[in-house]
Parts: sequence; structure tokens; C-alpha cells
Amino acid sequence: MRFERIGREPDYSRYMDLKEGWLDRRIFSDADIYEEELYRIFARSWLFVAHESQIPKAGDFLTTHMGEDAVIVARQADGSIRVMLNSCPHRGNKVCFADAGNTRRFVCNYHGWAFDTAGDLKGMHEEYCYDDGDIDFKNHGLKNVAKVSSYKGLVFATFNGDAPSLEAWLGDFRWYLDMILDNEEGGTEFIGGCIKSVMSANWKFGVENFIGDAYHAGWTHDSGCRSMNDGMPFPPIDMENSYHASVNGHGWEFGTEGVGDLVLLGRPKVMDYYNKIRPKMAERLGEMRSKIFGSVASASIFPNVSFLPGISTFRQWQPKGPMQFELKTWVIVNKNMPDDIKEEVTKGVMQTFGPGGTFEMDDGENWENCTTVNRGVVTRHERLHYRCGIGRQIEHDTLPGIVYRGQYNDANQRGFYQRWLDMMTHDDFSKMPTRPEPRLGNVAETRDLPGLFAL
Amino acid sequence: MLDRPLSPPPVEVIVAVTQALHCEARLLDNEDFDGWLAMLDEDICYRMELKSRRFRADRSPPLPVGPGVIFNEDLGRLKLRVDRLKSGFVWAEDPPNFIRRAISNVEVVARPAENEVRVHSVLIMHRNRIDGTTRVLTAARTDLWRGEGQAWLLVARDIVLDHSVLPDSNLNAFF
Ligand code: FES
Ligand SMILES: [Fe+2]
Repeated sequence: MRFERIGREPDYSRYMDLKEGWLDRRIFSDADIYEEELYRIFARSWLFVAHESQIPKAGDFLTTHMGEDAVIVARQADGSIRVMLNSCPHRGNKVCFADAGNTRRFVCNYHGWAFDTAGDLKGMHEEYCYDDGDIDFKNHGLKNVAKVSSYKGLVFATFNGDAPSLEAWLGDFRWYLDMILDNEEGGTEFIGGCIKSVMSANWKFGVENFIGDAYHAGWTHDSGCRSMNDGMPFPPIDMENSYHASVNGHGWEFGTEGVGDLVLLGRPKVMDYYNKIRPKMAERLGEMRSKIFGSVASASIFPNVSFLPGISTFRQWQPKGPMQFELKTWVIVNKNMPDDIKEEVTKGVMQTFGPGGTFEMDDGENWENCTTVNRGVVTRHERLHYRCGIGRQIEHDTLPGIVYRGQYNDANQRGFYQRWLDMMTHDDFSKMPTRPEPRLGNVAETRDLPGLFAL
Repeated sequence: MLDRPLSPPPVEVIVAVTQALHCEARLLDNEDFDGWLAMLDEDICYRMELKSRRFRADRSPPLPVGPGVIFNEDLGRLKLRVDRLKSGFVWAEDPPNFIRRAISNVEVVARPAENEVRVHSVLIMHRNRIDGTTRVLTAARTDLWRGEGQAWLLVARDIVLDHSVLPDSNLNAFF
């Protein structure tokens, strides 16, 4: 047996066979593969950077990362949003150390170069030391990213000037996203700040868990489920009426019973609220989507955002090296909810999927130990099994995407790694396959879809 | 509730409350959760709020629905957490983690009522997990304790964690 080390331009198709249903463990710890992910995935994808509600007024800003690159996201006087590198063009120091706030200027700690909230260089300490011709202010601002765009409150940015529009990037996944972003008039907002924690795990383990791993819930979260539900174990899954749907590496796994996740949230008032607005939701999004919302479900947006519709935790897995990520979590609610319901949702999220939550506490160590143990020099050459439900693909009249029947399935995970492989393989973005062929086409608003989809 | 400053606080009270804090830490370290629950008042309010880094000069208003909380628990919720830990289904705690709590900087600062005291303390938690990794967390706590006969009961605890990024994958422990 030969244990090879990976070169700079390997054939990544060697690391998986998704028709057969296996992955090579090296993609979860290899430093070279990780570096390539930063270049080929994080530097080329649309990446979530903020929710509009976090920076409502001119001068509001927050700091975050795109891949491992530190960025500032700032609201401009004209209402637009700019995203720029949080690194000074003088020597590269970090320009803003606050998590969030409101300001007119970012001033670098090292030599006092000062930038406005658009990133333009406005002046510096002892400006007289620069003679005419030493510095062109116009070219020495904070570098802005290539594109910024919003979808129903979620702000995305990309370093990639050739990236397709955000609408095209999300594609038919918008049909699913609208269940959380647009299930009620007024849209959504983030409330109550951001919790950050660091885990010694590969970022993909977080994403793949939320994209499709309903399977782990009944076992991993047995204790949490029993404590939240008077000793009852996880409810049985209806394999006939639950699905995996995958679009361009994004994925949503869900039931159609409409209440499972709302029960797990453990806040009866929130359940009442959604039951009250459900008929309206059905008018707005169609019968099918109103029944999917609130059921046992989880989802991820490629490459590194996840959420639980109904439970309202929203999160991002920020890569920090091959074997570490920083998890950022927020609470997402409908803007038009009364304050006491928002409060109830927040409590419910913290009690279930906050870092001290009865469910969250069970997950982290699994991902950490999958990562560290997979790295063993011999262990890493063994394959991992991703074949669950591989024969259950269906065509569905209503559901867009690559659809599999049965919530316990590895289908969305396979879809995620297929997109990973596509991005690691294709240099030319325009040649990247769309999986599957889009149904929505240029429909701007999934609410206006032909009856077929609104069913 | 207006706090009357306490100077100097009665020595017996300081001793009794300090003993209660140490006893509480020992019970939790030994996973004697029922013993710990017995030290809580039935109206216990147990909270840990989120901290974020802001510029000192930043005067922008606080968040609309209050700061985020990591814990906001009453007695029922704390019992539920204990039930979970005792359920025998918590795989991440089996074999058990080793947790040791050191309590220090105990300062009895006020006496809001005849039989109540407000107490500051500092907690250092050393956590050695089943996979061998060790994490150390520190927190400041402001408590309200109430003397009931011979016993002191914890009525309220506000926990401030000294980490803007949690250095661990979860907070599977009481502070
Ligand atoms: S590094 Fe920022 S001013 Fe010199
Ligand atoms: Fe989980």
C-alpha cells in the first residue's frame, strides 16, 4: 500500500465516488486540500456576511470573515452595503477589532491611517511625512470585495468578479429558502447578538450535519430529546413523506408534518403563533411549503451556512485551518412577530441549540473526534460510507432540486460533496455544472411561480 | 431592589456564604446534582448573558430585544438539564469528563433584605474531556443568597463569561 502526499494540483475526483457513495477521509484534515479549499471554494463562492437587520443605519458595521480573510461589513449613507478587507494597506494590520457598532471612521492602531466606512483613505497621523507623489489616496483604501448582494435580508459577498448573480447561485434553492425568509409579510431579522465558539473540527462536518443528517438526531440527541419531552425518545420518522432536496450543493432535509421542530423548540407559544399564521403562509407560499415549515428539518447553504427552520437557529462555520472552525450562531425571527414571541423564540433557541443548549451539547465532540481520529496516518486512507438511501431518488411534481425520498439519507451530503468536487475541479466558473437543471428559471419571486410549484 | 452597602459585613455571614459557594462547587464537581438542586431557591433565576467587543466610544443603542443570553433558566429548566445528565443517554459524558471548579474573590457586598446577601465571586473551571483535551473557562458571578434557617439558598445568579469566543464546543456544565 502506498501512502501518498497530495500535490498542489491533484485530481480531486480520487477523493470520492458519489455514485458508489464513499469519501476519502483526507479531505477532513489534509493541509494542502484545505489551502485549495480557501482558494477554490471560499475565494470564489458567494459567502454569507450579514443579515441586513444587523446593520440598519448608516455607519453601522460588523466584522466577520470570508474564508480566513477578515472583512468589515458596513452600511453606507446611501443605504447600500460595502464589504472590505479588514486589513490596512500600509502594513496590513487589522483595522477594526470591534465585533460590531456604529462609527464614521476606522483608524488603524499602528500608524493611524484613517478610512471612512466605504473604505476610502481619508488621512493619517503626521500626514506631512508623505511628499507629493508618495501616496495616491484613491488607491490606498481598504480593498472592497468584488460583489455584494442581498437575498431577502441575507447579505452575501464574493471575491470573485466572475461569480454568477446571487439569484443564480442560489438557484432553485430559493424555493426552499423562502420558507424561512419569507413565510410572513415583513421578512426576517436577527435578534440578540452572536455567539461564537471554537471547535477542533473540519468545517465540512458542521455543514454536512445540517445539510442532511437527520439520521444522527434520534441517537446523538436522545438525552436532549427525552429531557425536553417527558422522557419520550425522538419521534419516528415518516420515510414515505419526508425528503432530501439538493440544489447546487445547497440542501434541505425535511418532513411534511409541520410541527416536529416546533415541538423540539419546547415553546408552546411559538407553536401557537405559527399555527395562527399557517393559513396565511399557505396562501403566500402554497400548501406544500406551509406543511414543510416547522417539521423536523435542517438545511445548509453552500459552502458554510446552516439553519434550522422552525427552531430558528442560524449559523456559520468559519474555517480556521483544516482541523478547526469558529462557529457563529444567531437567532432569526420574523420581523412582524410580537416582542413576546421573539423573546420566546430566543429562549427556545438558547435552550436547545445555544452552546449551553440541550441539543447542541451533544454535537461538538462528535465532529471534533471525527476530525482528529480520521487524521491517523493509516486511518486517513480508509474510506467513509456515504451510501445511505442511494437508490431512493425520485421526480417530484412540487419539490425542485435533486429529490430523494426518506429523511434518513446521505443524499444531500452527496450533493454537497459533488458541488465541493465541482468547485475544486473547474477553473472556469461558467463551465461549472448546474445540479440539477433549474426549474425556476428566471422567476424573480418564488411566490409568483406557476401553480405547479405553489401547490 | 435597592442594595444597602455593607461595611463591614458580619463575619459569620461571610463565612457561611463562602462555605455555601465552596460546597456548591464540590457537589457539582462530584456530579451530586440532586445535592446541588437542594441548594437552589424555588424562584431561582440563573442567567448568563452574551458579551461582544465594542469600541469604548460606541454609543449606539443596545439591541432591540435585549442582549442574547446563553442561560436564562428557572428551577424547572435546571431540573430538566439535570434529568438529561442523569438519563444515561448522554454519550459525550460517558466515560465522564473531569471537571474541577475553583471559587475565589468572594466578596459579600450588600444586604438587600435582613436574610439576603449579594455576593460577587470568581469561578475558574478546569474541564478535562473524554478525548483528553483540556479547557479552562473563567467567569465572574454575582449572586443573591437567602438564609433560610441553617441553610443558605441561591436565589439568583448572573454569570459573565470572560470569553468573546467560547474556547470549547459546548457549555455542558453548571457555573
Ligand atoms: S499598518 Fe495601518 S497605519 Fe500602518
Ligand atoms: Fe445534532
